[in-house]
Amino acid sequence: MMKKTVNINLAGTVFHVNEDAFEILNNYLNTLKNHFKNEESADEILKDIEGRITELFTERLNTKEAVSLTDVNEIISIMGEPSQYDDEIEQEKPPKQQDKEEDLKKGKRRKFFRDEEGRMIGGVCSGTANYFDISVFWSRIIFFFLLFIMGPGAPFLYLMFWIALPSAKTTAEKLEMKGEKVNINNIEKNIKDELNIIENKILDADKKYTNEIFGANSFFRKIVDFCIRVITGIFKFAGSCFGIFCILFGGILLLLIFSFVFSGAEILFQNHPMVEHVYSNFFNNKSATWFSLFIGIPIVAIFLFGLRLVNNTKIHMNYKIGIFVLWIISLFFLLNSAEDISIEFQEEAKNTIIEKIITESDTLYLSMNDVNRELVKTIPGLIPQFKVTPFEDNLIGIGMQLDVVKSKNDNFNLIKEVIARGKNKQIAKERTEEVGFEFLLEDDNLIFDDFFTISTQKWRMQELDLTLEIPVGVVIFLDHSLEDLIYDIKNVNNMWDYDMLGHYWKMEKEGLSCISCE
Amino acid sequence: MKIENTQSQMRKGILEYCILSILKNGEAYPSDIIEKLKKAKMIVVEGTLYPLLTRLKNAEILQYRWEESSAGPPRKYYSITEKGNTFLRELDSTWIDLAKAVRLTTKTKNDEKDSKH
Repeated sequence: MMKKTVNINLAGTVFHVNEDAFEILNNYLNTLKNHFKNEESADEILKDIEGRITELFTERLNTKEAVSLTDVNEIISIMGEPSQYDDEIEQEKPPKQQDKEEDLKKGKRRKFFRDEEGRMIGGVCSGTANYFDISVFWSRIIFFFLLFIMGPGAPFLYLMFWIALPSAKTTAEKLEMKGEKVNINNIEKNIKDELNIIENKILDADKKYTNEIFGANSFFRKIVDFCIRVITGIFKFAGSCFGIFCILFGGILLLLIFSFVFSGAEILFQNHPMVEHVYSNFFNNKSATWFSLFIGIPIVAIFLFGLRLVNNTKIHMNYKIGIFVLWIISLFFLLNSAEDISIEFQEEAKNTIIEKIITESDTLYLSMNDVNRELVKTIPGLIPQFKVTPFEDNLIGIGMQLDVVKSKNDNFNLIKEVIARGKNKQIAKERTEEVGFEFLLEDDNLIFDDFFTISTQKWRMQELDLTLEIPVGVVIFLDHSLEDLIYDIKNVNNMWDYDMLGHYWKMEKEGLSCISCE
Repeated sequence: MKIENTQSQMRKGILEYCILSILKNGEAYPSDIIEKLKKAKMIVVEGTLYPLLTRLKNAEILQYRWEESSAGPPRKYYSITEKGNTFLRELDSTWIDLAKAVRLTTKTKNDEKDSKH
């Protein structure tokens, strides 16, 4: 009968192993790994044993190609089951399997695993239930609840846990999954274990150098030891706080990010009308996704780091590389869309519209239609350079400037100079045509609107300047409501804009002169 | 109180003593050590030895060097360190004391039994 073989690499040598034999061997090596995992030099011991198994395989393979089940069983009986080592080495662990499991249950801290045996999809809910010691029913209810709150964000969160959490495969892992409850003490212990490894590494390196230079018990050595102890002590304390902080911080931010992606950036923007109207024009779903990845991935990293400190969950290198590559890609696309945005502002165009004001009167009362200027002015975050602002769900233009000059003929004219930007001259020109400005002529009253409209509702740095041309001999009255509108009006009295308000001005050949001033 | 525990405790110290005594005469490869220990019926399975060697090495009682092998991966050749020699000398005298103690106590026990009968 034909048998499937598996290629394995054991201590640097490649073997063909029959599938059934591989299964047994793999189980055996895993049992050993579990047995020695609390041992200081577990890796080294395992390597030694693997090395020995390699030799035994090599001896047996002189005449044939593949390692058979018989070979593996023989070798296992030569090397012995860990329970046989217990007899001879570790007296504290009772040899009976059941007692050992009980011991594991009591002594080992609980770890976060996916429970694939109790799974519906990936075992995340059942794993969560095990970890927090609640019924699977409740964890699934909570998940459905999240599904309603977060919408499509919940499946993504689920997917992330699916990737990040290992599934409990071996018996030991299954026991760990339901092991000792998680509390602050064993979180601290976990962090201490992590830091001890680092400390040992530092001490090892330290030993190498100080031994050579200062000798084992020198004064310097003691000082270095003391410093390392103090520093690691500080790290241990900070570490235990930091791990919990990372999880909370990362978790909350992740929830925000998920909501952000699936609401099309609305959640973050909805509280700020300026941002909503001005920037959201540029946030399509695509750029929002890249943006979320760009800031989300570091947050995921923080979250996973916290999870590692608290739970000792290790992420496979491939995932780490994958996530990093994704981050680089998101950075690339983000820069790309930033360029897209800047392109929108590349060219400036100016458009001048002259509107005739038809009136018979020789005295005009100029004022402004003061709808809600105070409201507009107090919108927070309004940068003076932005001559647009959101108002009652519309993007409107503000910050116009009004000048009054002498007309070249007998006509009243309002000259509107519009500036806007766009990808090219053509588009910028089209943008200027989207700007509208209204005024009202009622008998002798010329009432200006306090805003200009933008029909496309798109912000492209639109600006509007107004110039009123009046014929010689005409008198105008500047109402106090024009305070924010008039700008640098030339007059023969050389008065400042603000002082000109509330006075009658006559257009002479030389220019405006005050007829009501003292 | 399980007999296995007591037995393993008794064997544990002696096993270390035996390994050091084997290495006293020069460096050896784990299989050599295993062969001798098996002959002496000190161990049953080979897996027992590797963690023990590593622990002794970590305690700086043993050291090893790598040697290329024609068949299979490079081998570790273990030898005893200076610290290990001191350690072994102390074990030697401890062993003599223990043997004496066991001899004396078991003898007394037997004498008592004899006197009762």
